[in-house]
Amino acid sequence: MLLLALQRLGEGAYGVTIARELEEQTGREVVVASVYATLDRLQERGLVVSRLGESTPERGGRAKRYFRITGAGIREVREARRSLMNLWKGLPDLNLKGEKA
Amino acid sequence: MTSKQPPRFATWMLKHFGSGPDNDTVLGDLAEQYVQNGSASWYRRQALKAIWVSLFREIRAHKGSAVVALLTGWVLWAFNVTSIFPLITPYFFNINPDGPTIGVAIRPSDPIGSVLTVLSAPVRLHAALNQPFSFAFAVALPFVAWALIGGLVAIIANLHLEANQTGLPPRAKVTIGFHRDRQTAAVFLFAGSTLLLNLLLTGYFVLHLQMLVHGPSQEWSSAFGHLAAYVAASVVGILLGGTLMGGLLHDKSTVVRN
Repeated sequence: MLLLALQRLGEGAYGVTIARELEEQTGREVVVASVYATLDRLQERGLVVSRLGESTPERGGRAKRYFRITGAGIREVREARRSLMNLWKGLPDLNLKGEKA
Repeated sequence: MTSKQPPRFATWMLKHFGSGPDNDTVLGDLAEQYVQNGSASWYRRQALKAIWVSLFREIRAHKGSAVVALLTGWVLWAFNVTSIFPLITPYFFNINPDGPTIGVAIRPSDPIGSVLTVLSAPVRLHAALNQPFSFAFAVALPFVAWALIGGLVAIIANLHLEANQTGLPPRAKVTIGFHRDRQTAAVFLFAGSTLLLNLLLTGYFVLHLQMLVHGPSQEWSSAFGHLAAYVAASVVGILLGGTLMGGLLHDKSTVVRN
């Protein structure tokens, strides 16, 4: 999910925008620190890279940390999508069944 | 310049008790979101969760340093109780220096009871010697001792982390070097272990003496009050000593890097 958020945000992906994007897409409050914990794990796996950006007065002079998805990250997203599609294949129409029940 | 400032206490908490290289960035993100559209309760919730998330993340990422920090802290406390406290006990109590000491009793047949004597000796001593409760000996002195140990735990954890960084590529070292507080998680872990062990041993103490059957007398209630004050002093001492030392290490690190 985080990789998809990074892909959607492009060059402007840092803590605030990533958390906001996830909140908009999931409708749930996101813990900003958890976003970094996950991104660090992804960075260790070489799926994302980060760089320190500019600081602003409203951030108390603290620098932003921008993230970008790597080629390996894009391949991982494609692979996950393919696996998910395969899992969906052959399943009955869950939505229709739910409506009938 | 903005007039909307994030809640100060929550910021202070996260700044001093948050650990890991992303702490400053998280503080910046929270401040930015708070200024834009966040509420004070949202900010406090995020700050509190950030402390826990960073704590567990750092411990998981540096298990070796966490173990070293725990061992350091407990070995120092055992040394303190068995070697230093007995030397100064006569200055607090009217007893013969060659007579009964702090009351640590290591018995292989009763390992839990032995740990209990090491852990809570400053409080149990009063009962063992039949002496009135001494706040200076049972709370103030342990507070100072735990604070010093907390500071040493921070130093050892920091050294261990620095040593582990030597194998990292230069770029990673620079990224880590910009941030302090990697030792904060170790200090928190040690303080947590102190609290947990005290709670477990107090429970054992209660069951062992069958207090639940007979009901606590006034003396026992008083003893538990003293024990609670001692445990609180221990945990606060460790956090204070560890945090102060973390700040000093950070300042030194910043000067060296500048």
